[in-house]
Amino acid sequence: MISLQSVSTTFSTRGGPVTGLDDVTLEIPAGQLACVVGPSGSGKTTLLMAIGGMLRPNVGTVQVNGQDVYSMSGSARAAFRARNIGFIFQMFHLVPYLNVLDNVLLCTHGNGGTSKQAAVELLERLGLSHRAGHKPSQLSTGERQRTAIARATLLKPSVLLADEPTGNLDEENAAEVVKILGNYRDEGGTVLVVTHGSDALEYADRVIRMRAGRVTEETITADSS
Amino acid sequence: MKLVCWLIFKELLHRKVSFVLSTVAAMAAVALCVAISMTQAAAQNETRRTTRDIGSNIFIIPKMADEFDYFNTGFSEKTMPEETVHEMAKAPNISYNHLIATLTQEITIAGRTVRLVGLSGALHPPGRRKKSKMGFAIKQDHVYIGYRIAEVLSAKKNEDVQFLGRKWTVQRIEPEKGTIEDITIFGLLPDVQEALNLPDRINEIKAIDCLCLTADRDPVKILREELDKILPNAKVFHIAAIADARAKQRQMMDKYSPFLVAVLLVVSAAWLGVLAAVNVGERISEIGLLRALGYRSGAISALVLGRAALIGILGAILGYAVGCLLAINVGPEYFPVTAKAIRAQPAMLGWALLGAPLLAMLASFIPASWAVSHDPAVTLRQD
Repeated sequence: MISLQSVSTTFSTRGGPVTGLDDVTLEIPAGQLACVVGPSGSGKTTLLMAIGGMLRPNVGTVQVNGQDVYSMSGSARAAFRARNIGFIFQMFHLVPYLNVLDNVLLCTHGNGGTSKQAAVELLERLGLSHRAGHKPSQLSTGERQRTAIARATLLKPSVLLADEPTGNLDEENAAEVVKILGNYRDEGGTVLVVTHGSDALEYADRVIRMRAGRVTEETITADSS
Repeated sequence: MKLVCWLIFKELLHRKVSFVLSTVAAMAAVALCVAISMTQAAAQNETRRTTRDIGSNIFIIPKMADEFDYFNTGFSEKTMPEETVHEMAKAPNISYNHLIATLTQEITIAGRTVRLVGLSGALHPPGRRKKSKMGFAIKQDHVYIGYRIAEVLSAKKNEDVQFLGRKWTVQRIEPEKGTIEDITIFGLLPDVQEALNLPDRINEIKAIDCLCLTADRDPVKILREELDKILPNAKVFHIAAIADARAKQRQMMDKYSPFLVAVLLVVSAAWLGVLAAVNVGERISEIGLLRALGYRSGAISALVLGRAALIGILGAILGYAVGCLLAINVGPEYFPVTAKAIRAQPAMLGWALLGAPLLAMLASFIPASWAVSHDPAVTLRQD
């Protein structure tokens, strides 16, 4: 479960302070897929970063799985993030000098229990087993994003945060990625997807609309599972 | 940590140009430090030899001696007790490198007037380690004879020559120098004193001394004041040009190595620092990702500093090898006479293995701090 209470963030810029989030209060129950939509600069990614323990709010509290993320020390928060939160980015952020399998295993630091076999099996499920030894530069964009998803989900974090995961993909690959995210939700994970498009909306249990750092509308979809 | 090491290796192999340039920087610093250190002994010997050839810079002669005669003939007719040099050696306020007492007289051999010089052993300040002998090492009853005298006497090395009523063995014939030394015979002071029937007498003390460069005071005046107290029968002359040349040569040699090494280290550190900063800049999104994956600040620092340490270790090994090759192959061209002093110093490898990684890590400290403090949210949000 994700819970935000009166969260506000402000960035200092040369042009003066800029509001990222403005008094956001939000609750996403465990096992739901929520889509955050809104125009550029509305605070969608900032919301994601704040939930992921990457951006300390100026005001308010962020709780993930009942734990106040920002009351922890930096290293405790890093460990919490490693165990409980998976990130997927629009630009994939794959490490260029590691092959697919090694990129996926990158998340296993300090989580020695996860075997290489689990990563291989996950790649197989995502249709990437034949690409395990390839570098990111040798992959298609769809394959890159699936690799990033494999990395984010290998440790089965309870929360998956996806920032424009389909932004760089064609329709077919975008649909596949959305389906994977939906499946993750179906397996019990909480998924928060920041998106511009409408492809993820069909899987969404709730849709959060943002504008100028504020949540302007929150819709719980009728056909949520 | 295992994963961090693995990432470092993978990254180094991926960004080869940066890796090679950084290693070259560390290698160059180590190689030049090793080469300088290895040639240092040869350089010092060469300097010592050069400055020795210049001559002494302080002359002390009997007070009764006439300066005009001294400068005209090159020695004093008057003598003083040999004890004078020992008193001077023991004097607490006199600074010197070493003292030599001499007894010089003109004698006639085969109808020619030549100069006979008796040399005492060098006296060093108490507690100072004796330097290796670079000057005369005349044996008892032996002489070094000048080139012209050898010609006149048709003398050869290890043959005996006769003068002043006694037999001397020619230990060495000096090469032609075109100076008064061509008509000079050098013997041990006791032998010459006995031959000249001047037991325990000397007529000059030569002191190698760098008091001359005391910044704003007249060093000769200071020395004269001191000597007057303990040696009332002696007077001091100072050859400024020789003294300055000697001091400057020494100072130059003393200063050049540390200066060169310092410049090298600063330039190499700057080079390594810039390359590390460029590397961190290239990897900022990777670092942001690692933060998102839960890597702690320590692991991020270790990625940058571990990389630097590895480059330092490699640079140390390569640099030591290159430095040895440089010193052994190029050193003798610059220090031909004392080239034997140039030899590999295995202890330097230990120092290099310690120093180069430290230098590289120090140079990478700011980039590492940047990597740790950079807000990953900013990087990852810039998609």
